[in-house]
Amino acid sequence: MGKVIVVTSGKGGVGKTTSTANLGTALALLGKSVVLVDADVGLRNLDIVMGLESRVVYTSMDVIEKQCELNKALVRDRRVDGLMLLAASQKNNKDDMQPEQMKAICDKLRTTYDFTLVDSPAGIERGFRNASAGADEAIVVTTPDVSAIRDADRIIGLLQNVEIEPINLVINRFSPQLVGNGSMMDQADVLDILNIDLIGVVPEDSAVITSTNRGIPLVYEDGSPGAQAYMRIARRLTGQRIPIPDLEQKGLFSNILNWFTKKR
Amino acid sequence: MNLSIKQLFGRKPKSSNIAKQRLKLVITQDRVDVDDRFMTRLHHELAEVLAKYFEFSANSVKMNLKQEGNSYILVADFPYTKFHDMSMRR
Repeated sequence: MGKVIVVTSGKGGVGKTTSTANLGTALALLGKSVVLVDADVGLRNLDIVMGLESRVVYTSMDVIEKQCELNKALVRDRRVDGLMLLAASQKNNKDDMQPEQMKAICDKLRTTYDFTLVDSPAGIERGFRNASAGADEAIVVTTPDVSAIRDADRIIGLLQNVEIEPINLVINRFSPQLVGNGSMMDQADVLDILNIDLIGVVPEDSAVITSTNRGIPLVYEDGSPGAQAYMRIARRLTGQRIPIPDLEQKGLFSNILNWFTKKR
Repeated sequence: MNLSIKQLFGRKPKSSNIAKQRLKLVITQDRVDVDDRFMTRLHHELAEVLAKYFEFSANSVKMNLKQEGNSYILVADFPYTKFHDMSMRR
């Protein structure tokens, strides 16, 4: 029996879709069978971020309306074994779907695939409730700024109310330089406020933009810091115990100090 | 503490520290800012339990969330007319 994990955040633009695409691809690269489900009905984007937009024929709404079988609606990603996408309908809106309908889809996918990652829309309304209806676990994506963290806290409360557990945190767009000079909260600050388990920190990486432009998830080219961070998170999702590296970039003085004091 | 030492040396507090302090305050507030439905449910359930022990009229009950400094307190007034003698029940 596989796991259904909802990827959510509250606030928009923090990297839910990018994280879903990269974690799903990374899990498939690790040999797992994976389905990515776009739950953002009416504003779908997971297909274009994955570079699969030209191959979408059916959507989850077609499955719900019994226009096609679930298996037929899945788009196979030909670049890696065992990776599928279930697109959201672009012509419907979020109220056209019931949470129970999404849950039924997740329940079916869970029996076949190791991981079902559900990309949630921003917000705390119907779209979020649809996305989380079938989830066993959650990944909350945040960036280290006040509005994203406040919204993440709200979402965490809602997930706890429906007993989704564990809820793991991804801190995205982390800037080692800004943290180093005190202009950005570090991971300890964020964890102190949100008080859930951290599963990874993804550094700000311009390669995310170029990979999205091309529709090729970052993790296919594993040189970039962002790709490495997503690969580590994927390994942790499979149960491997990999420490979370300290990405903070300290000033010259503390670097020199570290040189003398740190056991290396 | 951290801030005041730095201020002594004439340095501006780090903006990340300010962000953290502000967030902590606002999130505590968000977390206790419960909706009416929740309060009504809590009210009913508390009244149900307390009715086993006390006699009180339902419309004299008052429930409020109060802020004292950084913490929040639930204040519930259940003015009772008499209490049921539990020893008689056994």
